[in-house]
Amino acid sequence: MSSAEKKLSIEERLALDVFNVDEEPHIIVEKDKCEKCELKPCLYVCPANLYTLDENGKIQFNYEGCLECGSCRVACPKEAVKWNHPRGGFGVQFRFG
Amino acid sequence: MSEKFDVAIVGAGPSGLTAAYFLAKKGLEVVVLEKGGELGSKNMYGGRIYTHVLNRYFPEYTREAPVERWVRKEQLYFMTKNSAVKLEFFADDAFLKESFTAYLTKFVQWLGKKAEEAGVLIATGVRVDSLILEDNTVKGVIAGDDKLYADYTIIAEGANTLLLDNLNLKPMTKPEEVALGVKEVFRLDEERINERFGVNSEEGVAGLLVGFPSLGSIGGGFLYTMKNEITLGVVIRLDEPVKKKIKMYEVVEDFRMHPLIKKLLRDSYMIEYSAHFVLERGKLPDKYLYGDGYLVVGAAAGFELNTGLVVRGVDLAIESGKQAADTIIEAHEKGKQDKQTLASYISRLKNSFIYRELEAFKKAPRFLSNERLYNQYPEVVNEFLKEILTVNGTPRRLYSTFRKAMRNKVSLLDLIRDGLGAVRSL
Repeated sequence: MSSAEKKLSIEERLALDVFNVDEEPHIIVEKDKCEKCELKPCLYVCPANLYTLDENGKIQFNYEGCLECGSCRVACPKEAVKWNHPRGGFGVQFRFG
Repeated sequence: MSEKFDVAIVGAGPSGLTAAYFLAKKGLEVVVLEKGGELGSKNMYGGRIYTHVLNRYFPEYTREAPVERWVRKEQLYFMTKNSAVKLEFFADDAFLKESFTAYLTKFVQWLGKKAEEAGVLIATGVRVDSLILEDNTVKGVIAGDDKLYADYTIIAEGANTLLLDNLNLKPMTKPEEVALGVKEVFRLDEERINERFGVNSEEGVAGLLVGFPSLGSIGGGFLYTMKNEITLGVVIRLDEPVKKKIKMYEVVEDFRMHPLIKKLLRDSYMIEYSAHFVLERGKLPDKYLYGDGYLVVGAAAGFELNTGLVVRGVDLAIESGKQAADTIIEAHEKGKQDKQTLASYISRLKNSFIYRELEAFKKAPRFLSNERLYNQYPEVVNEFLKEILTVNGTPRRLYSTFRKAMRNKVSLLDLIRDGLGAVRSL
């Protein structure tokens, strides 16, 4: 139960949303550019925590669960995020937006 | 699709649909392209719509629109980690109809139905990838392999201005020009919402929360009561999270665990988690709002207003849609699509409340980027009240207690400077 008594993980919260996931990723991250990026704002701004670091400190990204806010596109200082909306009809579907 | 339309509109939000509605009413052939599979499924905001424009353009809204609750109580909270000071305005009956809470998803569905009844073709599930540019004139839109020609194109793509940015129709969006809003929706039965917030079923609460919700960074929290839900969220300027090492997906949950918020949400459960841009920069310069064959409306044009106490978007979007429709109706009668003709959009905006209000508050974004507002002042207010209300045998006089609360946080000079700043900007 998604009770309001305790904190919910991002996975628990995203599981409440309705997604029609496209097989075709709508965001492509050019990860070689990330290696030269010290700030890595994507790790902080993404409301779905889709940007993470692996054990080697490299950026990992998964477009599934994207809330399509555009934050990573605007915050990225290296222009490493090739951002598009999901194809028509795909992606997140807010019911209480 | 190879048919040619009079007007193609990118985005079925409040601005695009309002423009479509008024254009179709004048007999123009209008198509609205919406990327969402269903109307409203990509729209998101905090939770409140101001009614003045609805009274003017859609007076039937009182019977038809998906109103959740009329705002009876306006609340402003100054929060620290464990305490809060709340200022509440309990509205009189006349004020009650100034604004209502609603889901933008449902409001857009309602507006879309009205536009369709007026003759607009709304194509959902269509992502516009680019614009048709011929002879330096926008001549319609490109969606996948399809080209759709139109005499006029209205860009109503919202705050995440992907088309405008990609086509260099304005400078690239910078992190400090936008904020990220993250919203959580909690279901709680109507009766308990009424009791907990001291309202009846038709009336509700709109709250802005300063300090702890954004962890002292530039931004704040919001709270709205819907009929059977409470919406709660945090908005933070997009350059702040990396500077302050704040993770956007965590901050909203930290806010929710505040003892006061926890009590308000007791026994409820979350039903949706969403995110969307909010504008921080003010409107785009005029030269980016129109061009040969096109106009820009709504949040894409920068038409949102945050005065620190009042946060607005939908009413400005609707007004800009109406002004864009009037501009195109006039140009269409003349048979012209050129920039000079469409420049009348700017004079129309100048005569509307949009420019009057945005002009009056043009210094607000700078004033509101003062970190003391989100950090020190909420602390000082809480500290002062805690101290002055403490009874333990030590006398606590007003002024000395106030100076003590300010110590190491705000100097008297800062206070005077910020006070003057508020007077000048807000």
